[in-house]
Amino acid sequence: MAKSLMIIDDSATMRKIIMRTMRMSGLEFDQPQEAGNGKEALEKLSNGPVDIVLCDINMPEMNGMEFVKKAREMSSCADTKIIMVSTESAQDLIDSVIADGANGFINKPFTPEKFQEKLSPFMN
Amino acid sequence: MITIDNICMNNVLLASASEVFETMIFMDLEQCFDTEQQIKDDTLLSSITFKGDLDGCLTICCSSDCAKSIGINMLGMDPEENISLEDTYDALGEVANMVMGSIKTKIQQNTANISVSIPMVVSGKNIVTNLSDSSAIKTLVKVTIDSQYIAEFCLLYKHNTL
Repeated sequence: MAKSLMIIDDSATMRKIIMRTMRMSGLEFDQPQEAGNGKEALEKLSNGPVDIVLCDINMPEMNGMEFVKKAREMSSCADTKIIMVSTESAQDLIDSVIADGANGFINKPFTPEKFQEKLSPFMN
Repeated sequence: MITIDNICMNNVLLASASEVFETMIFMDLEQCFDTEQQIKDDTLLSSITFKGDLDGCLTICCSSDCAKSIGINMLGMDPEENISLEDTYDALGEVANMVMGSIKTKIQQNTANISVSIPMVVSGKNIVTNLSDSSAIKTLVKVTIDSQYIAEFCLLYKHNTL
């Protein structure tokens, strides 16, 4: 069964690129929901959780770090897998966001193979 | 004080740009040493600033036709399709964001930390990038994209002594 997905990135172009890369990865997803920042994503998630969230870190209004903390306070998102997709690569930042509740990290630039590797464990 | 020499930064800049163009844009990028070749007509400039152990900015300068081609490739559009100005700007901003992210990854073994801003894109003619601080180091890499377009990647930075 296809998983539900939300893509959070302040760049509409990057959201489209992520969608295209997801299609190229061969993983099956429903038509994704989109949000331009963490705040907008939380509002959409309050209407119903999704299986997997792909989330940028550097965004205006509410960044990805803050989003992860807030999402983990929502009981409805307890089972949602949150994968960060970012140009940030400092290990202490990655450790910090994983400690706050993110389930994985994909660096930009990325490949379909990288998406498959990081997301396959959450597809069953 | 931690220092990075200019030759090293030149290589880092070119390697980072090549990585992004190969992985995300699917266009060939080669360093251009021909001083005669210049960016002509309307120009777009994408910039992203950083601060920390190094302060400065990365800029990418190319013609609007080149930027449209980059956007079309990034979005997987048909080459004959029209790309909106908004998508073109957004795509070029993301290129700066990803190249800067790749630079940051490559230099963070030598520098403790830098934090990066959100990119911005402007258009104009004869755009020149400078930092107000005359002690800033300028690394400029001119490239050809798909043997068709000229683009300039410029890294302006200074070591932060504070």
